[in-house]
Amino acid sequence: MGGVSTDVLALLEATLDAVVIMDDRGRIAAFNRSAEEMFGYRAADALGRNVSMLMTSADRVAHDDYLRRYLTSGEPRILGKGRDVRVRHRDGSEFSVFLSVGRIPNTEPPQFVGYLHDTSLRRKALATLERERQLNRLYLDLAQVMLVATDRAGTIQLVNQRAIRVLKLTDHDIMGRNWMDSCVAPDDRTAARNAFRAVLMSASDEPLTCDYHVRASDGEDRFITWRGVALRDADDVATGVLLSGEDVTDQRRAENEAHRALERMNSVSRLATMGEMAAGISHELNQPLAAIANYAQACARLLRLPAPDMPEISGALEQVSGQALRAGEIIRRIRSLVRNEDVRRELQDINELIRDVHALLASDARVHDGRLELDLTPVLPRVTVDGVQIQQVLMNLVHNAFEAQAGEMGGRHERGREVRNGAGFEVRIATRPTEGGDVEVSVSDLGPGLAGDAEQRIFEPFFTTKPTGTGLGLAISRSIIKAHDARLGYRANQPRGACFYFVLPAHLETTQ
Amino acid sequence: MKDLPQTVFVVDDDDAVRDSLRLLLKSAEITCQVYASAQEFLSAYDAAQPGCLLLDVRMPGMSGLEMQQELNLRGATLPVIFITGHGDIPMAVEAMQLGAFDFLQKPFRDQELLDRVQRALARDMDNRARLRHTDRIRERLATLSPREREVLDLVTQGKANKMVAGDLGVSQRTVEIHRAHVMQKMEAGSLAELVRMMMAVAPRQ
Repeated sequence: MGGVSTDVLALLEATLDAVVIMDDRGRIAAFNRSAEEMFGYRAADALGRNVSMLMTSADRVAHDDYLRRYLTSGEPRILGKGRDVRVRHRDGSEFSVFLSVGRIPNTEPPQFVGYLHDTSLRRKALATLERERQLNRLYLDLAQVMLVATDRAGTIQLVNQRAIRVLKLTDHDIMGRNWMDSCVAPDDRTAARNAFRAVLMSASDEPLTCDYHVRASDGEDRFITWRGVALRDADDVATGVLLSGEDVTDQRRAENEAHRALERMNSVSRLATMGEMAAGISHELNQPLAAIANYAQACARLLRLPAPDMPEISGALEQVSGQALRAGEIIRRIRSLVRNEDVRRELQDINELIRDVHALLASDARVHDGRLELDLTPVLPRVTVDGVQIQQVLMNLVHNAFEAQAGEMGGRHERGREVRNGAGFEVRIATRPTEGGDVEVSVSDLGPGLAGDAEQRIFEPFFTTKPTGTGLGLAISRSIIKAHDARLGYRANQPRGACFYFVLPAHLETTQ
Repeated sequence: MKDLPQTVFVVDDDDAVRDSLRLLLKSAEITCQVYASAQEFLSAYDAAQPGCLLLDVRMPGMSGLEMQQELNLRGATLPVIFITGHGDIPMAVEAMQLGAFDFLQKPFRDQELLDRVQRALARDMDNRARLRHTDRIRERLATLSPREREVLDLVTQGKANKMVAGDLGVSQRTVEIHRAHVMQKMEAGSLAELVRMMMAVAPRQ
């Protein structure tokens, strides 16, 4: 161990790296324990031999050259720098180490020390780490949701590919910027900040949900449903927020589209119903008009008589104004049905709603030479409904009921006989309290009822049993009733015919 | 029978329309009776009562058309004026085909109504006069013996006594005696008058 102090040797034994010291002719002057382990030589065997025995054949020649060059020209090739080299184990296998070489100061002839670090282990760990990182990245990027992590201040720490695509960013140019200021649509920033704060302060790990728009780099706003959880450190202190967001813009658009289509269908059906009932309505209006004309003309005649009957004339004039108001009322009702009014839920008395629409329904009864019976339970809880829509459903059901009976009877005269026989041509609207205290409304007739197949399909759009039906009436009625948290159902009527019914939830009166 | 006044029978389920028609007819000094339904009228109606019907086409229960058919079945000859709304023109056409006298579309001028009512009442009076005439003829016909009836049928077909005698297998003299009895019982002054009587009571084609 020529020239290597015992202090140095002690130090060498303590390091985990393999350390090899050589003299100016390449002979090994020191070989520590780690080196023994790395190369499989005992120090005693290695000392005095040329370090080239630790090298691969390719490096052996070069090494002598390096050394010679350094010694003659002072030009260092490797000194002071580290690099990966392949080395040779005693058993002949080759492996990679990280080698750094330095000249030991104040040695003459010079001595050199080589530190060899087994990189295969480090590499393996690094590779594992890298693979995990890539896998995580893959998980993030495979996710169909946007993932955004920020620190407590909202500074973006991580975004996945999905988020980058939605925001139309070029790769990671968003990192380090503020989420609210850079990505949230201006109108929604307050809402987004509030939600962000709520997540940070939340004591639970349950995700909080909120909806807001993000603004893409091209200025397009996308509507996102977010779930946020706080990221916590070891002390359970919230250090940031992880957001997962679903882009529901298209879905929302489709929903709106469907909603608008239904609205359109609704108004079309209203118009169609009105069309079918035009004859009945014109009759209904003609009645008061005819009465007004008759009364007025009678008055004019009576006044020309030598001794006019004044009380009779005065009574007739009262009738004239009364009938004019009656005509106005009919027109008002029609208008409220035809108008495409917004949905308005109000606390209503269902019996009153039914009586309100009775005049129009009765005109439908007239068209069909039928009778409309009201069978209303006097005192019922009130219900929260859109009156016009419920009336529309009733008109539809009553209309269907008369059509069903008319269809069964065939020609008019046939029908007349039926009436004379007392079988009746009748539709009944009934209101009843249910056992649960809610309100059942039913429309029943004495027609043929529904055959098995029709009973299954009757609520499907475009299904119809009528030759001129659109098949939309019941489907729309059902969707209206559904929007009232109720169900439009069918059951056979006793002793015969069909019965359509729905149960409206009772409004809980605080006074009762 | 002649003493019964002509009455306009109004059948309409609408209270206001019915009452206004009553007042209008009253202002024109026409007697009327009002009914709220076809059934109400039919159960009250006496065929001997002359007049006409003002009938709403559309009524719950029995419609105006069905009531007209019912009257036809009962052999009532009351002229019917239908009152219709705008949408009922096809019904009005059907009514006319079933023998309605006229129809009016609501609302109408008083003069239109009163003119039609007057014409309908005149028609009813004609009908009844003709009916009284034919009734009398039928009464006289009923007094004839079977042989006299045979002679009557053959002579009104234009056959001479000799041919009638041949057809019936009796003497010409016997035919002459039957024929004299027929003219006497039928109160006919001539063969021409007898033929007119038979045409009046002949069933329509």
